[in-house]
This record gives sequence, structure tokens and C-alpha cells, in this order.
Amino acid sequence: MKTQFLRTLRRLGFLFLAATAPVAIGGASFIAPAQAEEAALKGGTLRVAVLSDLTNFDPHQFSTVNFHLIKNLYDSLIEYSPEGEAVPSLATAWAIAPDNQSVTVTLRDDVSFASGAKLTSADVAATLAKAADPDRGKNVYATMSIVKDWTTPDDKTITINFKAPVPQRQITDLLQFTLPIEAKGIDTVETVPAGTGPYLLDSRAVGQGLTLKANPNYWRKGQPIAEKVDFTIFSEDSSASAALESGAIDLIYGGSSRSAVRLQDAGFQVLRGSGPLVQVFRMNSTRGPFQNAKFRQGFNYLMDREGMLRVGYAGLGEVVALPWAPASPAFDASYVEEFAYNPEKAKELFAASGLSPAELSGWKLLVWGNDEPSVVLSQILQSALAELGINIELDVRQGAEYTEAQLAGDYDATFGAVGNVQKFPSRVATNSIYRVVKNPVLKDPHPHPEYVDAINRVNTTSGPEADVKAAYDHLNRVLVETAFAVPTNSYDTGLVVAAPNLGGLALDIDNLFVARTVGFQ
Amino acid sequence: MSRLLRKTGSILARLLSRKGSALALLFLSAVTFAAIFANFLPLDPFGQKLVNALKGPSATNWFGTDELGRDILARVVYGARTSLLTAAGAVAIAALAGVPIGLVAGFFGGWRDAALMRLVDVLLALPAILFAMAMIAVLGRSQAAALIAVGITGIPSFARITRAQVLTLRKRDFVTAVEAFGGSATYNMFRTILPNSWSPIFVQVVVLCSVAILLEAALSFLGVGVPPPTPSWGEMLRTGKSYLHEAPYYAVLPGLVLTLTILSFDVLGRALSDILQGRRDVDVVAKAGEASS
Repeated sequence: MKTQFLRTLRRLGFLFLAATAPVAIGGASFIAPAQAEEAALKGGTLRVAVLSDLTNFDPHQFSTVNFHLIKNLYDSLIEYSPEGEAVPSLATAWAIAPDNQSVTVTLRDDVSFASGAKLTSADVAATLAKAADPDRGKNVYATMSIVKDWTTPDDKTITINFKAPVPQRQITDLLQFTLPIEAKGIDTVETVPAGTGPYLLDSRAVGQGLTLKANPNYWRKGQPIAEKVDFTIFSEDSSASAALESGAIDLIYGGSSRSAVRLQDAGFQVLRGSGPLVQVFRMNSTRGPFQNAKFRQGFNYLMDREGMLRVGYAGLGEVVALPWAPASPAFDASYVEEFAYNPEKAKELFAASGLSPAELSGWKLLVWGNDEPSVVLSQILQSALAELGINIELDVRQGAEYTEAQLAGDYDATFGAVGNVQKFPSRVATNSIYRVVKNPVLKDPHPHPEYVDAINRVNTTSGPEADVKAAYDHLNRVLVETAFAVPTNSYDTGLVVAAPNLGGLALDIDNLFVARTVGFQ
Repeated sequence: MSRLLRKTGSILARLLSRKGSALALLFLSAVTFAAIFANFLPLDPFGQKLVNALKGPSATNWFGTDELGRDILARVVYGARTSLLTAAGAVAIAALAGVPIGLVAGFFGGWRDAALMRLVDVLLALPAILFAMAMIAVLGRSQAAALIAVGITGIPSFARITRAQVLTLRKRDFVTAVEAFGGSATYNMFRTILPNSWSPIFVQVVVLCSVAILLEAALSFLGVGVPPPTPSWGEMLRTGKSYLHEAPYYAVLPGLVLTLTILSFDVLGRALSDILQGRRDVDVVAKAGEASS
């Protein structure tokens, strides 16, 4: 009787999950879940699996390996909704000057750091100074290129001045990227977190994991819900999946798409954020056949994007021909149709390139051996080229050997992901292949001045709306014509797979893990 | 020549007379045949059909298809070519370098023995897989690099076995007699001692084949073996493990072939050791024991 009752319960549970799964997977949940849901959630210890250890506790180290911690130890001045709308966080208000040459930010007055000290404009100023320093600014340094200087009229106000008129979205991107660090903790922030976040560092075992405990003085009322968050590092995605299925952990952050799809079918919740990465076929247009524009353009048509997404990422993502996520203002879905898989068209462009068969095959495709999807995508492209009689070799490298070659631009072509695809369009230029200056692959002077001009046009067009749209359209057309980078599909970084009894799951616009709203049902 | 053929025939007959070694020989012959004549079989290891990805075993694809819709059976057959070629090359390198080292060290003794054996000890002290990975890091990822790396790690075993054999033969009368008749050291080493040392070396060839196949598979499993799309059993295991839930056959079938191949080499090596060294096999002893009781 008892067994029968349990079976019925289990069936009802699965029916409930089946009914709610499309909601969970349909789009990112907003960072602040509904109050009613939040109130119903219980605290406890949230056990989270991650697949790699963090680099350090500096919020300017905006690397994916740090994504599980940044928004739990720090807060931004503002946040974005999944649709890209700016909403208050540490800043209660931000007023952009009519000439778009400055922004005045008003800070909350009830925020304190982990040390107990109150947040002031001096801390924000110290954070900006660090971000603007090429040696200390890390991933936020590029964002600071628009900033001229800043002033702090009082403890709760800071005015940031720009070198030239800046589009509104670029200003809010800067504020969203500004995560105040306590001024006196800036020099030690790599090892000792110094933020205003919902959690405090409790303990850390390097290579194994770490534990966060709730910040008792956190300014968001009723948050965080879970008293503790235990992060455990799993070296294998399959081990993390097995741990979730066995109940040893409650949630996986940053697992593979394939596992997520399988676990979703098994009744687990899957949450996708609005800040995916875009996989891009990068070509070194200063080398060999890639110096030829027609040859490069041929790859726009040679990518079986649907197949690549299905095989490489279990279909979790979108096919794209431009490096933008739907939340980006430059997103244009029509390009996917225009550059649909068409080997015949690719063949025509290769023939029009005037390159000899030896030249067409005279290059190697660098492959990141540790990244399964990259290996798969590379083999799909290799096979597509072979169908056209172009036989190329794969140069598979592991770990640091690959990263070194990629960052130094020492390759003919390779697949690699780019981020910031949901932000202000020119943010794409923070990715190595898209950089307009000091491009490690294409070097200086940039071999595609029309691309540099297009980025500059976007950067300097702050209105009217038609002009802004024209600037985005122009950039999109230049991207497919210069074709030094051919996007294939977006995919989820920071994918969340959670046990059915968790509620309040959330990711921020960049797919950073937000634990403060998560609780047990 | 006819004596060699007669001897080979006799060994073969004795191998076939044992159930275990006969099965092992049959399996290895089938794998070798498939590897050599793969081009003549109606199998395509590279043809991708993305819509046909991860389909289970069927009449068209006996072992199912992989994540790119390629025929797993075709890749297992062509993977045999990779494994056997690597094993053959590695064993050749190991034997060609290891046997002379052991021969010189054992025959001359003294400082030459000490120097050569310390060199062998250095090689022996390095974990084979780590050494092979370091070699590949230097030489680059290719079948030739894997073959050389695996071959070098096999040198110590040949050197030590040959040296041990030479030490037992060095003071035998027939060797002393050749010396007394003015036979040179080179003549004595290669014409007198070596022909009488073949048995353990031959057994080691078979044993090292299984070690080489396993090491090659391990390198591919770790992602430093032959680069894709060249089929390799280790590479198939590496990729297949990611699909264990959706397509268990993907890792299991190549893994089974790999296991059977290594097992066959081991069984064959053991049987050869028994036959060539004139030892009675365990079954015979057991039967004799049963009879006496």
C-alpha cells in the first residue's frame, strides 16, 4: 500500500515536472523571483557542483571559472533584466547627462562590505581606479577605455566622465560591470574577497571546493535564502551528473549541454541564461589562403550550423551567423537564412578565390582537444571540406598548449567561443579575434580597416534611433563580408541543472550563478 | 630455411592444440586480416551522416553509429590498423634497440654492462605513460610519435631479457669453444649466442604487443594519441564515455574488441612461453595431479 502510494506520488511529481519544464528551459528567470515563491522557499545548505576551481576572488577577473562566485561575493552598481533592461542594485539611480558625456550614480545607504564597513563612493572610485589600471584591471580594463575620469561629490554620489559622447547602453554596461571592492581590501582582493555580496567566504580547499556562508548584514531583505553554499569541484561532467542523480549534490553549475538535456529528460530542472557564448570559426586572415576574402566568405556557407548545434551541443542553443545573442541590440535573425548551409555556394566562392588546390588545402585547423564540442565541430568542417576536395589536417592540442597558441594568434584557423554577445555591440571587440587594436591574431595595423571603422561608428552613434540601427546594420554587413570570423551557434555557459526540490533558480545577464534567491521547496 | 619452417609449423601446431591459445590465435588472425584488408571491405570509417548520429546497432550498422553518424564497426576495423601498426612499429623499435643493448651488456660485462644497464634503469624508472606523453609533447601528436614513444618505453624489457639470457649462455662450452677457435666477439654475440636466445625474446615480442596496444589506447584516451578523424580504439573509448547513457554500445563495443585483443596477446604469450621454454602447462600438471590421486 505504502509502495503504491509512493509510486503515485512519484508519478504526480514527474507530471508536475513535465508541466513546468518548458517554463524552466524556455528562458532565463529574472534575478529576483516572485516574492511569493521566495517566501515559500526554505533555507539550508545548498550543495553545488562545479567543474573547475576559481582563479582568484577578484571580481575584475571575469573568467568563466570564476562565474560561480562573483555575484555571490559581490554586487554590481546596476543589473540587467534578461531582456537587457537596466534595473537598480547598489545604485538607486543613475542620471546620464544630456550630452552623453557623463553619468551620475547615487548609491544605496544601507550597504556594507564583508568587513562591516559601509559602502561609500570612495570605494567605487577605488574600484574604478583599479579597473582603469592596465596591470590590475583585468577583464574590465577594456570597458574602462571610454572613461576619462570621475569625481565623488559626496559619500553616496559618484560622477563618471567620458572621453566623448557614449551611447546609453555602453554606459549601463559599464555600471553593470562595476562591482565595488572595499578600498582597503583592493590590494589583497585576489586572495581575500572584499565585496558587498549576499555571501561571505567561510572556507576553501584549493582544488576541492569552497564554502560560503550567508552575509547577516546583506541589504536585500529576505536574502540569501540558503544559509550555506558548498561548492565541490568535479573533474568530470559525468561524475557531477551521477552525484546529482544520487542526491549527493543539489545543483550543477556549468555542466555540458548533453548532460543537461539528459538530466532534464530524467526530471531535473534546467535553467538557461541570456548570456550565452557564441562559437566562432576564427580565421587568421594574415596567413595563407585566409588572406583571400572570397575563400573566407566561402566558410559562411560551409557551416552546417544546425548539425553542429545538434551534435556539439545537444541542440541547446541557437544557430547564428553573427556574434550576437538575442538580447543584443545588434541581433538580426535574417542573417541565419541568408547564410544557411550551402556547400555549392561555398564551392563557387572557393573557385572564385583563384587559389590553387594546394593553396586551398595548405592549412591546418587548430583544435582544442579538451573541449569535446570543438573536436566535433572541427571534424564536421573537415568532412565538409573533404566533400569539396579540400583535405586538411586537424592540429589537436590540449590545455595550455592550445590556449597559448590561441591567445598568441599562432594558428591558421580554429573554433573558439566569444562572450559579451548580449551586451553593447562593440563589446565584441573585447574578444581576441574581434579586437580592433592589439589584435593577437590579426596584429596591428588591423588588416580590415572597414571593420575597425564599423566598430567606431557604433561606438560614436548615440542617436537618433535610425542612425543607431544603421550603424548596427553596417557592422553586421561588414562582419560577414570581411569574414575573418564566422559564427556558427550560441551555446550556454553557466548552464544550471538542479534537483526538482529547488526553487528561485537564477542567472544574471552574463550567466553568472546567483545563489541568493535559491532555496528548498 | 626448411628447418625454420618445420620449427614454426611445430610451434603453430602446439598452439592450436590448446583451446585457449587456438582461440586467441584465431581472434588475432581475424583482427589482423581485417586491419590489413580493411580497404577491400565495404566499410567507410570517415563518412559522416549527422542525421544518423548515435543510432544503435542495426542491420546497416552492426555496431551502431557514433556522434557524427559514422559507422562504429568501420572505425573499429580501421582502429585495429592503428593499434596493430603502432604495436608492430613500437615492438620493432624496442627490439632493435633493446636486444643489442642487452647483448653487449651481457657479453662484455664490466663498465659497458654497468653503463648500459644504468641507462636502461633510467628508462625503466620513468612511468611509461608519462614518458610517452612527454615524447609526444616534443614530437607532436601523430601516429609516428605514438609509435616512437611506445617503442622507447619497451626498450628496457628487451634489454634486460636479452642480457639475462646472454649471462646464462656466456660461460657455456659452445660459446667458449667458438672463442677458443678464434671467433670474434661480434661473431660470437650474433652467430652463437643470439640464435640461442630467441625464445624469451620472441615471447617478449608478443607480450609487448599487448602492452603497446594498451599504451597506444591509453594515449588516445587521454587525448594525446593519433589525431582525429583517424580511428583509434582509445579515442573511441574517450569519446564514447561521454555518451554512456544515450549510447552505451559506443564505448562498450570498441572496449570489448580492445580487451579481447589484449587478452589474446597475453594468452598467446603465455602459451608461447610454455612451448618455447619446454615447460609443462598448468592443465597438464593439474591433470597429472588428479590422476595420481
